[in-house]
Amino acid sequence: MKNHIRFLGLLCASLGIITIAHAQTPLDGLMMPKGEICIALQYDQVTWDRYWEGSTIRVNQNIGNFTKQMGMPMVVGGITDKVNVILSLPYVKTAASAGQLTSVQGIQDLGISVKALFLEKPIGKGKLTGFSNLSFSTPASNYLSDYMPFSLGFGANELGIRAIGKYELDKGPYFRASYAYLQRGATEAERDFYYADQAYYTSKMDVPNAFQGQLTLGSWLFNYRLRVEASLTTIRSTSGDDIRVYSMPQPTNKVNFGRVEGFAQYYFKSGGKGFGLIASYQQAISGRNMGQFSGYGLGITYQFKAF
Amino acid sequence: MKKYNYINIGLLLITFLVSSCVEDLPTKYDFTGYQYSNLDANAGQWKLILHTSNEQIPLPIPVAAGSPGLLKELADAKEKQGKATSAQREAVTYWTNNPLLRWNEIALELATKYNLIPAPNPDGSYPVPDPANPSKYPQFPYSHPPYTSRMLAYLSVAQYDGLIMAWQYKYKFKRQAPYQLDPQIKSSYENNGLFSYPSDGAVVAIASRDVLTAMFPLEKEFLAQKVQEHLESLVVAGINVSSDVEAGKLIGTEVAKTALSRASTDGMKNAQTTRAKSDSIKNAAKERFGWVWENQETPQRMVGLVPLFSKVRLWNVPNVEAIRPGPPPAPNSPEFQKAAAELKQYANNLTTDQRRIANFWNDGLNTYTPPGHWNRFAKEEVVASKLSPVRTARVFAYLNMAIVDAGIGCWDAKYYYHYPRPIQSIPGFKTILGTPNFPAYTSGHATFSGAAAEVMAHFFPVNASQFRTWAEEASMSRIYGGIHYSFDATAGLTQGRQAAAYSISRAKLDGVD
Repeated sequence: MKNHIRFLGLLCASLGIITIAHAQTPLDGLMMPKGEICIALQYDQVTWDRYWEGSTIRVNQNIGNFTKQMGMPMVVGGITDKVNVILSLPYVKTAASAGQLTSVQGIQDLGISVKALFLEKPIGKGKLTGFSNLSFSTPASNYLSDYMPFSLGFGANELGIRAIGKYELDKGPYFRASYAYLQRGATEAERDFYYADQAYYTSKMDVPNAFQGQLTLGSWLFNYRLRVEASLTTIRSTSGDDIRVYSMPQPTNKVNFGRVEGFAQYYFKSGGKGFGLIASYQQAISGRNMGQFSGYGLGITYQFKAF
Repeated sequence: MKKYNYINIGLLLITFLVSSCVEDLPTKYDFTGYQYSNLDANAGQWKLILHTSNEQIPLPIPVAAGSPGLLKELADAKEKQGKATSAQREAVTYWTNNPLLRWNEIALELATKYNLIPAPNPDGSYPVPDPANPSKYPQFPYSHPPYTSRMLAYLSVAQYDGLIMAWQYKYKFKRQAPYQLDPQIKSSYENNGLFSYPSDGAVVAIASRDVLTAMFPLEKEFLAQKVQEHLESLVVAGINVSSDVEAGKLIGTEVAKTALSRASTDGMKNAQTTRAKSDSIKNAAKERFGWVWENQETPQRMVGLVPLFSKVRLWNVPNVEAIRPGPPPAPNSPEFQKAAAELKQYANNLTTDQRRIANFWNDGLNTYTPPGHWNRFAKEEVVASKLSPVRTARVFAYLNMAIVDAGIGCWDAKYYYHYPRPIQSIPGFKTILGTPNFPAYTSGHATFSGAAAEVMAHFFPVNASQFRTWAEEASMSRIYGGIHYSFDATAGLTQGRQAAAYSISRAKLDGVD
């Protein structure tokens, strides 16, 4: 019974986590049963007033407070009990409080992700589960990636492959770890010459690939109606150049960061069906070539049996 | 469970396939050595720019074919060619038989590398690069468009004078190339029969190294390594023996000295002024016209970029007044209002194509600047037309003299009129491009491009309309980008064309176009 509730309860949970660079990647350890669908509307906002230029903190009064807002509809569906599909399509808006550069907004990247449960094994007073996940995202509008930090995204396809392991005690607490490799393609600039440690005579910019790791401690509370998590995430680019002194960032930059996050999800009905709410807070704790961001997210979810 | 394993294997496979098709992106212009369309046998008679005589730099008379000295040099060249490492063979391919194009490319790369604006000090003031202490932040130079335009002119003029002299001696001494003297030596390039004494490649290598080292002192070691690789490649390629190279070095050294001696007294060192001087220039404009440009950054830059670049010595234009346009419309005049309304209209309704044009021509900080952009076009045009090295040098010399003259005239107008930028005059105006740290009128992009397009049109008349279209597009790009009024662009194009006319009429004295 408890396991069953856990299964139902879950899914919408996939939704809580936003990365700064692009749409959410589903990296939780939950699975929706066949025929269940969860739809979600998520709002996230991050701000920063200083950024890492390479590894040096820079304050730029011609940017002031930088804000990135994201509204994201998302759908998670159980194809089978062991395979879920997740779709997302964020709308992003960026703006700076100072300086004269114009803000931008628009549809960012369409994300499609398939998650498969491949391991489920009771151990001691809990259960170990393992998932693999393949995600793909692609720009869904002709936004200009070479307009950083304002650009909506990095403007390239991303293929992610991820492993997720979770150990959950029957009483509710759980530990989760995930590790992913994110393969990015090239983005198209509107200039055909740029400098990234050397001159490039092309409008193609190579967006660095990255590894992403995450450790999470969480627990179910109140008979599986509330879930709380604290997590630590790190992104490490495998290549790329640093932002040059007092210069603009560009999609070729080596972007690294570490982030802590708190997350809570509440279901109005036990069992997971019906409406739920999500709230999160995140903060950068280290970084390279990106804003020292902090921000929050709010979401509403609705889950139902579709077939 | 098996089914999922298949899925997982599939995922891995896809990841592998995606990663294996990532291509190498080009870091230089992709061209190889080519057969010159014309050897330009009489180029030794073309008009020198900085020198008075085509034999002003004396060369030793080369030893004759068949003499023991030359035979030994040929044997040495043969050995070097036979024992060439793969890196040396790659260098032969890279440098080509028109290596001026590579040196120009290196110059553009250095211009880009050093085109970074100083960041503010903690107290809100701004530091200035110090040529006497180039490695101290902000590094010297700050290779902004005026600096780059001037640097390219000295580079190109030194190369050109050096190659005119090289051609003079080539056709005077008529020493045959190694691959002609010894059938066992193969030319890595087309066998064009060009005489080899002195080596034109060595002239270009040394002249370029010396000018660029003066312009980018922190790159001394990088340039030394480049020059060594290039000189070595001349012998490995089978087109020169060591005495050809040595003679070329003599010319290269001397023409660079002449160019740098002009540079040392051309007024550039005073172009970036003190605050007091900058204020007096500003006040003069205020009294004259009633308006004044102010930098809009935070913290504010109290001195614009090189207010006295206008005093730098011109190459072919007699004086800045000769190409100074009339005044721009007064802020808030009907003509101004019309131009401001046009900017707002673009800002609110920018099309994808207009945005692309704004970004394509941006050529701002951390790029090779508009002068660099036009040098790149010239390089591509030279290769398409298969010009000889000396004719290539001629294109770049007249092009870059016109560009820097246009820039000097443009900077005169900028600080004479001291006209505000759109972000200063139009309340709440936002742009997609960064606004530079100097007054609006006339547009540097328009002026540089107007000049460059006319010189290119003169040398490559078949594509004249293409170059002029580009210049108009470059001018419009600043209006789409929200950082210039249309009258800045119109006046700049005209000013640039006027500057080019002086350069072109000097080129015509050669009588070879």
